[in-house]
Amino acid sequence: MSFGMWAEKYRPKTLDGMVNQKEIVERLKSFVKSRNVPHCIFAGPPGTGKTTAALCLARDLYGDAYREHIMELNASDERGINVVRETVKTFARVRSIGEISFKIMILDEADNMTSDAQQALRRTMERYTETCRFILIANYSGKIIEPIQSRCAPFRFTYLPRGEHDRYLRQIAEKEKVKLLDEGLDAVFEVCSGDLRRAINTLQAAASLDKPVDAKVVYSITGRANPADVQKMIEIAMNGNFLEARKQLRDMIQKYGVAGSDIIRQIHTEIFRADMPEQWKIKLADIVGEIDYRLVEGADEEVQLSALLARLVEAGYELRKAN
Amino acid sequence: MRKVLYAAWTVKHKPKSLAEVVGNKEVIQKFVNWIRSWEKGIPKKRAAFLYGPPGIGKTVTVEALANDFQMELVEKNASDYRTESAIRRFAGLASQYGSLFGGKRIVLLDELDGLTGTADKGGVKATTEIIKSAQCPVVLIANNAYDPRFSNLRNYCLLIEFKKPPAGEVMKHLKRICTREGIQADENASKLIAQRSGGDVRSAVNDLQALAQGKKRLTYEDVSWLSYRDRQETIFTVLRMIIYGKTCVGAKRAVDMADVDIDMLFEWIYENVPAHLTDPHDLARAMDALSIADVYRGRIRATQDWSFTRYLIDYMTAGVAMARQNTKAHGWIPFKFPGRIRMLSRSKAERAMQLGIGYKIKRKCHISAVRASKEILPYLRIIFKNNMNMAAGLAKWLDLNPEMVEYLAGSKERSKGIIKLLS
Repeated sequence: MSFGMWAEKYRPKTLDGMVNQKEIVERLKSFVKSRNVPHCIFAGPPGTGKTTAALCLARDLYGDAYREHIMELNASDERGINVVRETVKTFARVRSIGEISFKIMILDEADNMTSDAQQALRRTMERYTETCRFILIANYSGKIIEPIQSRCAPFRFTYLPRGEHDRYLRQIAEKEKVKLLDEGLDAVFEVCSGDLRRAINTLQAAASLDKPVDAKVVYSITGRANPADVQKMIEIAMNGNFLEARKQLRDMIQKYGVAGSDIIRQIHTEIFRADMPEQWKIKLADIVGEIDYRLVEGADEEVQLSALLARLVEAGYELRKAN
Repeated sequence: MRKVLYAAWTVKHKPKSLAEVVGNKEVIQKFVNWIRSWEKGIPKKRAAFLYGPPGIGKTVTVEALANDFQMELVEKNASDYRTESAIRRFAGLASQYGSLFGGKRIVLLDELDGLTGTADKGGVKATTEIIKSAQCPVVLIANNAYDPRFSNLRNYCLLIEFKKPPAGEVMKHLKRICTREGIQADENASKLIAQRSGGDVRSAVNDLQALAQGKKRLTYEDVSWLSYRDRQETIFTVLRMIIYGKTCVGAKRAVDMADVDIDMLFEWIYENVPAHLTDPHDLARAMDALSIADVYRGRIRATQDWSFTRYLIDYMTAGVAMARQNTKAHGWIPFKFPGRIRMLSRSKAERAMQLGIGYKIKRKCHISAVRASKEILPYLRIIFKNNMNMAAGLAKWLDLNPEMVEYLAGSKERSKGIIKLLS
């Protein structure tokens, strides 16, 4: 019986075990060697090894009992100022027993901390440097306030290159006796774009279907927009039924978890395939582009995409009038 | 787009006889006694002045009484001009007890508060004159009988105060309507609507229609959001001001009157715009305004600069109001509760479950519970639906409880099978 989540099972245990982020790993190893660690910020996209690097560093530094010397806090769950004032402070000010005099506080998803909490953290970091070092993990270092950034050594994690990504997944597939086809691997990379945690989760979910992992299997489990659904939605809108088209859109987003950017890409493709006067296609492409841009800035995908649907309703109406 | 015409339930289910009027039983009896006294000759007070807060059945009582006693009801209300001369013309009607065909007659002057200084000049004075010489019962209706303008008028009237009916009475009325409409309403659902109405039966019925029309069953969850709002200005009035607004300022002012927060108001507008703006160009314009409003929401979120809220408000109110250029008003279209919020409130228990599983994942996977419930849970679902062995292994590893296993597996039988593998 395959046990647990593969993403955990195959998480490297030591810095030597880390296959990627070579330069970062080398610098971290030098910290271990000198038995000293500065405050750090690990920034970079999800699934690139930030948390793993922090845990490996701790294990290499303290040995197998590393858990006694570190604390992991997740700012998404505990983001308020009180956590900094109480939990963090209590941990930070007590000296560690053992060869290394400081403990390590790992603050994961730190970009989700409120700015009040970050301000409070800044003092704590300064005051208890002797007894505690902080590793802040974030997707965007820009969301960490400047004074904290200036106190930390920055590390930028990047997506795994395709070669490493493939090697890693093939290794897991082999150990778990999963038949991973080349097209399946391509699809995983396309869908997860180098986010290794997502890629491994995708592989495990695909393996649960008990058949060779091909592109179809991968797409079916990752909630990608189905071209046929998008085509149908466009048709409904162009025929003038806005409410029904919006309902389809809502289902896609809420029930099947399809990303708005994915839907708009499909709409763009479908428009050029659709049966309508050529000059209309370019008109609509312009509208799609505008909404795509707003999607980035806006707050709500459904609102943006339904504005696009309303434009399609309008276009359908104009087209019928012209005929 | 198909146009659906709806009848307002406040009209459709208006009480036809006094027995059906909600509450105020003793007050109504007083009114009936006064009407009866006319059979023995003209009483001392020739007019009855019904007053009390809006929506509690003053006008309905008069109409029901006329129906029960088979009297002819002659009515003037705020929509008519009520200058002195207009009322004098009307006075003729009050000068005889019986009408031409032998029936008896009641003269009703409704919405007396609406008599304004200039347009209805002399109206109160003329009304007083009519009452003095009336040969048939005259009924006046206003919210506030103690307005100084009515001080002289009051001397000639029998004052009858209508009070807000208790929630229990309102609830009975709502239930009656549900039965007639073939809707099965949960006890606590109609109770909440009744309670929140604060005795305003008319608005309670309006709320009921907005929430229940087209449904087979009305649950507490469907109406639970009502408890968040105040009854000062209903959301429906606010929406009307926005979607049917003629000026930017008027549409924007609606925001101050709304007793929901900006995001909730946005949802209401977003939900209701399509049904009310049927012209494709209007609809596209309105949705575009909401799209830009949403961009401002994104900017506010990104910068945490709340002063951008003013532009958000501009687009979601004035932007929507100005979108209306071709659509004609037609019939009565009900406002609907935002579908997306309904989805959210329905899945409140579901979200709690997801977060619970998220915390289990967090203990093992170095990821926040919030993110785990969004990013990892969907994969677990796929595994639990497809592979019992792998599911059992994960259930044990994550230390999931049976409810969580059932939630992920999607069915009782499957979860039983998975749990069996564990022992």
